[in-house]
Amino acid sequence: MTTDPSGVSTSVDQSTLILGIETSCDETAAALVMGGHDVVSSVVSTQIDLHARYGGVVPEIASRAHLDTLNPVVARAIVEAGIAESRIDAVACTVGPGLIGALLVGVAAAKSFALAWDVPFVAVNHHEAHLYSAFLEDPNLQFPLVVMLVSGGHTMLIEMRGHGDYRLLGRTVDDAAGEAFDKVARFLGLGYPGGPAMDREAKRGDPTAIAFPRAMLHEGLDFSFSGLKTAVMNYVRKHPDVSSQDVAASFQQAVVDVLVAKARRAAREVGATGLVLGGGVAANSLLRDRFLLACQEDGLRGFLPSLAMCTDNAAMIAAAGWYRLRSDGPSGLDTGASPNLRLFD
Amino acid sequence: MSKRSWRHTYDSDSDSDSDSDSDSDSDSDIVLILGIETATEQVSVAIGGHEGVLGLFEVCRGRRHAEILTPAIQFLVQQADIELSEIGVVAVDVGPGLFTGMRVGLASGKALAQALKVPMIGMSSLDLLAFPLRHSDRTIAAVIDARRGEVFYCLYRPVPGGVQRVTEPRCGSVDELVAEVVARRDDLLCVGDGALRHREQIEAELRCDFAEQFLSRPSAAPLVQLAHAKALREEWVNPWEIHALYLRAPDAQINWSTRASAVPGAGLS
Ligand SMILES: [Zn+2]
Repeated sequence: MTTDPSGVSTSVDQSTLILGIETSCDETAAALVMGGHDVVSSVVSTQIDLHARYGGVVPEIASRAHLDTLNPVVARAIVEAGIAESRIDAVACTVGPGLIGALLVGVAAAKSFALAWDVPFVAVNHHEAHLYSAFLEDPNLQFPLVVMLVSGGHTMLIEMRGHGDYRLLGRTVDDAAGEAFDKVARFLGLGYPGGPAMDREAKRGDPTAIAFPRAMLHEGLDFSFSGLKTAVMNYVRKHPDVSSQDVAASFQQAVVDVLVAKARRAAREVGATGLVLGGGVAANSLLRDRFLLACQEDGLRGFLPSLAMCTDNAAMIAAAGWYRLRSDGPSGLDTGASPNLRLFD
Repeated sequence: MSKRSWRHTYDSDSDSDSDSDSDSDSDSDIVLILGIETATEQVSVAIGGHEGVLGLFEVCRGRRHAEILTPAIQFLVQQADIELSEIGVVAVDVGPGLFTGMRVGLASGKALAQALKVPMIGMSSLDLLAFPLRHSDRTIAAVIDARRGEVFYCLYRPVPGGVQRVTEPRCGSVDELVAEVVARRDDLLCVGDGALRHREQIEAELRCDFAEQFLSRPSAAPLVQLAHAKALREEWVNPWEIHALYLRAPDAQINWSTRASAVPGAGLS
């Protein structure tokens, strides 16, 4: 890629090397990605241990850790890539949504790297980056695609009609799926973070033991998980001797049934060629199995990013940054953080 | 891209493998310093060296540190007719101050230093407030507003060429500050936004005077001046070793319900 004197990139191609930076929540991450899909290096430093005792992410602790960790993480991403940093063509960074103080550390650093290396800075929407995690492993996915984004903050079904061309098909009307996992896990005393703990516990339980409600299963493409969470709590209060493994397995089955049913319906309604799963909950093993099975049955191309690419990472930021740079050009050095940034108007 | 390494930034050997065409033997002892200061509501950037401050940018409205800082650095460097690759040291205000804004300056400074492969010098915001008052004959109290009825403060005495701390920087109530000064029986010169905010209370209890309003925020101008002296003694560190001076622990006792509603995406990614 070349840069003219005004700083506008004149070509973004398969050799364009982008440094991605991600600090929106509790992972400090940096990655080098070439051509929007070739992951040259990806380093993630998780803060889970720092937050575990509080049962959730403490924003001020997250911001402090990002500030102390980001420089070594970027240095490692460059060293592991084995590429001279003078080859970096642009710096992409999450500007939102996320924790304001945490985002600002990444944005401030990313703009400074771009300024010092005299390369473009690219602002990236964290949710858009999750959509692009699929393209890291297969850049030739055919549109239209339906992407199900399930995380601690969001549960969304998105139609991807082209690069940067999205339509919201459905979303949660109350709790996000990951939030329900965290809350139920804490209620069952499984610790933090809730997702992996619940996954482990559920493997030893009977998913048919308790018939928890599948809210809105047959209506539209929106989701609701707050009633399910309440049902679990009521059931456990009424049956204090119930096996927490059976509760976890039955709860997880109810969530996965709803997620998979809605994803299939969405794909059918828009005539999608494929289904993509993204976000932290996409690491759940039952969801992964059922998702692929459903795609097979419906003759859809099912796409599951690897575990490392489902959870927060900077490779997906660099990938989304490549497409944004190609379509919109560089972002201004006066860009700030947008904690409530949305993917749709 | 500069190929200068940490410890050999200014000797003539390392200049020979630098790409920068402005390097010459006569320039080899020149240390250009970029100073970044964002610990209070102000964004302050300065460039300086042995000639003193060559350029200064300051804005103290809006608390948009991240939006203002990077363009400010770019503008100042251009207007001062300097290439970023000529910068030999990045100096930063490490606090204490307002956490979020202060981290913007620190994260920017650390990234610049890492990318330019130059060392860093960290200075306390309180030292920067006290230094311009070094010609006074009184004890100087640098006081920064810490919100929640508290202040970050430190006491100094003027010495030839500068000021010297007579206490350690700390975070406390105005009452604690007053008690500390009363015990010392000194006449006081107060400086800083914390001193101005709590002026009535301090005035009522102490024999003191207040520095001009325009000196009430730490500035990158004394930062580059102080950092230049340190740079000549090679008292610098790498970006890894620069840490914020918070003086107050994070508020970790946050209950889940407040956080879950206030923080999108907390928990699972
Ligand atoms: Zn995420």
